[in-house]
Amino acid sequence: MSRIPGNDIQSILLGGLAILFGLTIWQLIGSLGLVSPQLLATPSDVWLAFVDIIHNGYRETTLTENILATLGRSLAGFIAATILGVPLGLWMGRSLATEAAVDYIIQFFRPLPPLSYLVLLILWFGAGDFSKVMLLFLGAFPTITTAAMAGVRQVDSRRINAAYSLGANERQVFLFVILPGSLSMIFTGLRIALAAAFSSVVAAELMAASNGLGWMVFSASRFLRNDVILLGIILLGIFGMALSRSLVIIDHHFIHWRGKD
Amino acid sequence: MRPSIARYISISLLILGWLWLTLGGYVSDLFLPPPNQLYDALIELLNEGYKSRTLWEHIASSLFRVLAGFGSGAILGTAIGLYMGYFRNINSIFAPFIEFLRPLPQLAYLVLLIIWLGIGESSKVTLLFLAALPVSAVAARDGVRNVSAIRIRVAESLGASRAQIFMRLIFPSALAEIFTGARLAVGIVYGTLIASEIIAGTNGIGWMIFDSGRFLRSDFVFVGIFIVGFMGIALDRILLVVEKRVVHWAGK
Repeated sequence: MSRIPGNDIQSILLGGLAILFGLTIWQLIGSLGLVSPQLLATPSDVWLAFVDIIHNGYRETTLTENILATLGRSLAGFIAATILGVPLGLWMGRSLATEAAVDYIIQFFRPLPPLSYLVLLILWFGAGDFSKVMLLFLGAFPTITTAAMAGVRQVDSRRINAAYSLGANERQVFLFVILPGSLSMIFTGLRIALAAAFSSVVAAELMAASNGLGWMVFSASRFLRNDVILLGIILLGIFGMALSRSLVIIDHHFIHWRGKD
Repeated sequence: MRPSIARYISISLLILGWLWLTLGGYVSDLFLPPPNQLYDALIELLNEGYKSRTLWEHIASSLFRVLAGFGSGAILGTAIGLYMGYFRNINSIFAPFIEFLRPLPQLAYLVLLIIWLGIGESSKVTLLFLAALPVSAVAARDGVRNVSAIRIRVAESLGASRAQIFMRLIFPSALAEIFTGARLAVGIVYGTLIASEIIAGTNGIGWMIFDSGRFLRSDFVFVGIFIVGFMGIALDRILLVVEKRVVHWAGK
């Protein structure tokens, strides 16, 4: 039963047919007037809204601007958390004292839903972009740090000792044994953190923003623009899949030895 | 330095810094309340509740939503995932929808659910249901796929029927991954719940944080964040205990 997820022609065909079938049912429900268009815009309405927004923008913002705002915020928070979290996690993995001093703070933050402290961040830093990026940073940081620490800890100690007895120094052991050995776990942490950051950014944009895809969806809901809401949801789904897929590709490129160890 | 000493130093520095900043008057109580104010706020919440509801009622309504949404989403998601793992064609049909729903920010479809179902309980529970479903489905599917093919052949050659193989072999073997998925799902559901209460709530612990933030009661905000943190840890621990009891053979 241990099959690799199939990407063969039959499965692609079936998947495509299922999507087509779903879209047809959705279109028919609207076209036959089973549900009022106020409640459910049809796929063709969504397409028209898409074309309209590309040409005319949505309430004085262009679609590109909104997409870039959402992606920019998520990536800014995620990259900041990576730059600080990975080195800290590696250090914690190497030093028990560092872990003891820092870990309880990180483990308090890790299960905390980011939105619960958004109120506080807005109080401290205002409702601008800084508090949103800070929110995503705080959401991603504990996950990334914990993954990097766990990555260091699960490196086989026999390999480390073998490297030492072959005459490697601290720096060499770290660069050539510990870092590559923990990379696979670090990447798993990065994927979880990026997905969580993308979810949080939309929630943050619903609460306080003047652009971004989350803002667009929320604003459209107040004007009962069902077509724009659905367009926003579809775009968010596509970008969510693209973000997680791109990390998988980077992962496979860098950690070509995954599963061959 | 010994790890325990490092931890004591770090905790004392944190508390001393907090006391120094707040009691020394370097930071306004509005931004960071001193410890004694947090204690008073907790007592006040316990005695008088918040906005005509007791603290326990807020906690109970949040917990009810989590359990209803997570329970329904995890059960249906696991059932779909088992089918997806067992039958390849069913996987091909469902996979596009599940893969679309999984990375989709949950709050994005909250507004749609509010338009469809109103601002009450049903839209929130549906939101949490949709948040739990894809995570549980993927976990159950991968669990079924990871069952060793040799064991299935052994059972087949010993004359087991398809139903027996499924009930006695595949389902128990997939349980460990199903539970891992359930713990992941409960975390996502819990985060989504807090967010949905903040955006469209009239009660619940997430709403309490948001509402007290609007009235600049940052002592209530802090207490609320601590409660949310402890509840999240408790939910995860409960699932872990259940998992240990049900999948007692894991790791052996």
